[in-house]
Amino acid sequence: MRQFSLFLGKEWREQARSFKLVWVPLVFIFFGALEPLTYHFLPQILESVGNLPEGAAFTLPEMSGADVYASLTGQYQTVGLLVLVLAFMGSLSGERKSGTGTLLYVRPISYAAYYLSKWTAAVGLAVLSVWLGYGMAATYIVQLYDPVPGFPDVVLFLLVMSVWIAFAVTLTMTASAALPTGGAAGAALGILFIGLMIDGIVGAYWTWSPWKLQAYGLAFLTGSPDSGDLAGSLGVTAGLTILLVLSGILLARKNASKAKV
Amino acid sequence: MSFTEQLSEIPWGLVWPLIAIQLILMTAALIDLNRKRSTNGPAILWVFIIIFINTIGPVLYFTVGRRHS
Repeated sequence: MRQFSLFLGKEWREQARSFKLVWVPLVFIFFGALEPLTYHFLPQILESVGNLPEGAAFTLPEMSGADVYASLTGQYQTVGLLVLVLAFMGSLSGERKSGTGTLLYVRPISYAAYYLSKWTAAVGLAVLSVWLGYGMAATYIVQLYDPVPGFPDVVLFLLVMSVWIAFAVTLTMTASAALPTGGAAGAALGILFIGLMIDGIVGAYWTWSPWKLQAYGLAFLTGSPDSGDLAGSLGVTAGLTILLVLSGILLARKNASKAKV
Repeated sequence: MSFTEQLSEIPWGLVWPLIAIQLILMTAALIDLNRKRSTNGPAILWVFIIIFINTIGPVLYFTVGRRHS
């Protein structure tokens, strides 16, 4: 336990020094602010930048608050995941390569504390960023849109979303424990995006999966999701996350010998 | 419409956070670049990327520009 808190302190310092603590939340906040603004000012934007022929008329759909949350979620599912994977791809493999690993691995450390401290710091930062991003979006949405989803519904949605983000980050960390940095990023992005693609194709039949979580979360904003499917998906995701953490610890120990001296 | 009129039509109350985030990201990236001095590719290239590419520039620097060693 003492090792864990020591390692956790080291992780926070590392995140602060590499400015991760600044730029990861800011990117999410930026998109959180940009998305509601873009949709609100879309007519003016089209008018000023689009080379529309004279007399072109558009009927833009009236967006509700829930629609903006949905489109922001779509943004986070692509750019957001990319940012998270790129931010955390080197968390274990980078230490093996840079020599920080050598300093650690010669000591009798607990690899569970080592991996879990990194996991806690990374998941903490990722979930915090996502909440801040949606928080920023919410401040715009309540000003610019009508009707807006109720506050408890948004919190429920964010809780479901947090589980999905935690899964994505865990996948990245374990990939980073198993492979060199580049391979880790490729593997994590591949699994996340191929999963999303498969979900897009056969999602109607495959109702219990981590990739379904964001859709079920969004359903809270317009009504309520199928509680059985939601519980199933949450269970599957939690199970997979625990499996990934366990294999991450084993792989971190196994690959310690690959550290560059 | 004159330029000042156009400026006053921009809803600054809604837009300023975007500009602030932009500036913070840019400053953080430049400070880090100044401190590290070892990047993938020439440092001056990264200075231009950070300053002239909106939002994505600093993020690109933090993700692929920093050399992790």
